[in-house]
Amino acid sequence: MDLLLPLIDALSYILILVLIALGLMIVFGMMGVINMAHGELFMIGAYVMVVCQSAGLPFLVGLLLAPLIVGLLGLLIEMLLIRHIYLRPLDTILATWGLSIALKQGIVLIFGPESQSIASPINEMITIGDFSYPLYRTLVMLAAILLIGGTFWLFLKTDFGLQARAVIARPDTAATLGINTRQLYRSSFVIGTALAGLAGALVAPTISVDPQMGLGYLIPGFLSILVGGAGPLAGVLVGGSAVGGANSLLTVWISPVAAQIAVFIMAILVIRLRPEGILGGRK
Amino acid sequence: MRPLVPLLILAVLFAIAPLFVGSYWVSQLSYYLIYGLLALSLSLVWGYGGILCFGQAIFFGIGGYVMAAMTKGMISPFLINSYLSLFCSVFAASLFAVILGYFLFAGKGINGPYLAIVTLAIAIVLERLMSNWYAMGGYNGLLDIPPLNLGLFWFDYELWDSLPIFYTLLITVFVIFAGITLLLKSSYGTLLTALKTHPERLAFFGFSVLQIRLSVFALSAAIAGLSGALFVTVDGFASPTLIGFTLSTEILIWVAIGGKEMLMAAFLGAILTRFAENWLSEIFGDYWILLLGILFMISVVLLPKGLIATPLAALERKLGVRL
Repeated sequence: MDLLLPLIDALSYILILVLIALGLMIVFGMMGVINMAHGELFMIGAYVMVVCQSAGLPFLVGLLLAPLIVGLLGLLIEMLLIRHIYLRPLDTILATWGLSIALKQGIVLIFGPESQSIASPINEMITIGDFSYPLYRTLVMLAAILLIGGTFWLFLKTDFGLQARAVIARPDTAATLGINTRQLYRSSFVIGTALAGLAGALVAPTISVDPQMGLGYLIPGFLSILVGGAGPLAGVLVGGSAVGGANSLLTVWISPVAAQIAVFIMAILVIRLRPEGILGGRK
Repeated sequence: MRPLVPLLILAVLFAIAPLFVGSYWVSQLSYYLIYGLLALSLSLVWGYGGILCFGQAIFFGIGGYVMAAMTKGMISPFLINSYLSLFCSVFAASLFAVILGYFLFAGKGINGPYLAIVTLAIAIVLERLMSNWYAMGGYNGLLDIPPLNLGLFWFDYELWDSLPIFYTLLITVFVIFAGITLLLKSSYGTLLTALKTHPERLAFFGFSVLQIRLSVFALSAAIAGLSGALFVTVDGFASPTLIGFTLSTEILIWVAIGGKEMLMAAFLGAILTRFAENWLSEIFGDYWILLLGILFMISVVLLPKGLIATPLAALERKLGVRL
């Protein structure tokens, strides 16, 4: 059978998953905050596209607006909610869960519970030999690679990234050395949410957009982080590839439900047997 | 016996409630009692044991499905006795908890946020599994589950009407409530406090942390399993939502809003949230869920002890009693 198509589909799913997990990871790795509303921020990114499409705005404007609006929302969330509970990491799970319920229901109230569809801006296919693939999906993959690369560059090569990593490793020492940790937390949180919004906007034309879509990405996203290891940023790449790749490829051979069950169970086993993740070293 | 006084007052209030409300509300109160029992199980494992279980419905669902399968005669037509089925559902739920708990807690173990994510993932897996297990009803669930039969030997006494159901549940729930309350006053309660606050020191004193953690996990699962088993006999219907993710998070919200570190507050949290849902969803319609989410956030940020536990604790101090 032809393996190329499932492999490319798997790659495309992996890249989106990594993009979502990256936002989760920045927030979790840095502040220990588990953001259960991350999937809903991804969803809102997609809904920004819905609004833009019905307002007749060009696709690129939507791509620009989605991270801006979701990032702004992230700033609000940080200021009103997360800021007060940095010192109670377990409570962030609960508070952001409440937020996720409220955001989901807010979308239901505005747009209704039914799923929305977004027209793909580009309908051409690219054809190499006798193999063809939608051009838009290819572009989404390229954009995802650029975004992932950009985030890595930001956190590994810039002064901001150096400070951020200092805060992750030794928050108190970093604060003593004059790094404004609270400010850094805030900007990282906004970057994480804006990434989720952009990811939602990018993939909106390729999936069905509905108020429940967030959870389907949140749990695999978390499992990716935990499987890869919450320490180094590169853990997300490994975890995302393992979870996303296995899910996508298993779906080819067994039913989607069985594939998901198998992937969840495998992920739980990995998390249990290697609590530091595949990449994480011994502490 | 003093710790049981507030409990007794609450039980009496419940017992006289059918004098004032119609049969619709009596059957609603039966459901509330079951949800309250479920909330007690989560309060025990989370508020007292310090284990944040995001998948408490796992045990509720196991209890419910085992009860349904046995009383419907799907295991064997001779094994349909209500008492035996109740015992088996409770046993199955706690057995699953021991196995799962051993897997999760033994050795280095996982805890904190990791545990929350993993238990959540397990709840999702089980929900998917039950939706696709056609022998157990699949997505449509099991219908026509017979009611409780309190008869012994040659007598049959099936609970069909709302009043006998209500009083049977009332007695069951409050006996268990009292049992947990007394257990937590005993030295076991002290051990749990130690487990929650300083597990390392507990180990230094020669206690097996794993054993205590497993015991509270299994006890909580047994109570959740019992409430699941009682639920299907009242509802007559077992579906994959019983074991799933949505119910798990709902229980969490009841207990967090009420107050996880106080059994009474968790119990009332479940009952009042369900009551508010019944009552307010008529007024606010779809806005109710939005309101619940916001209320949940406020309660976590501003009143981490719980919306009900905080005033109850103030009342305790004022009256000089322990609730």
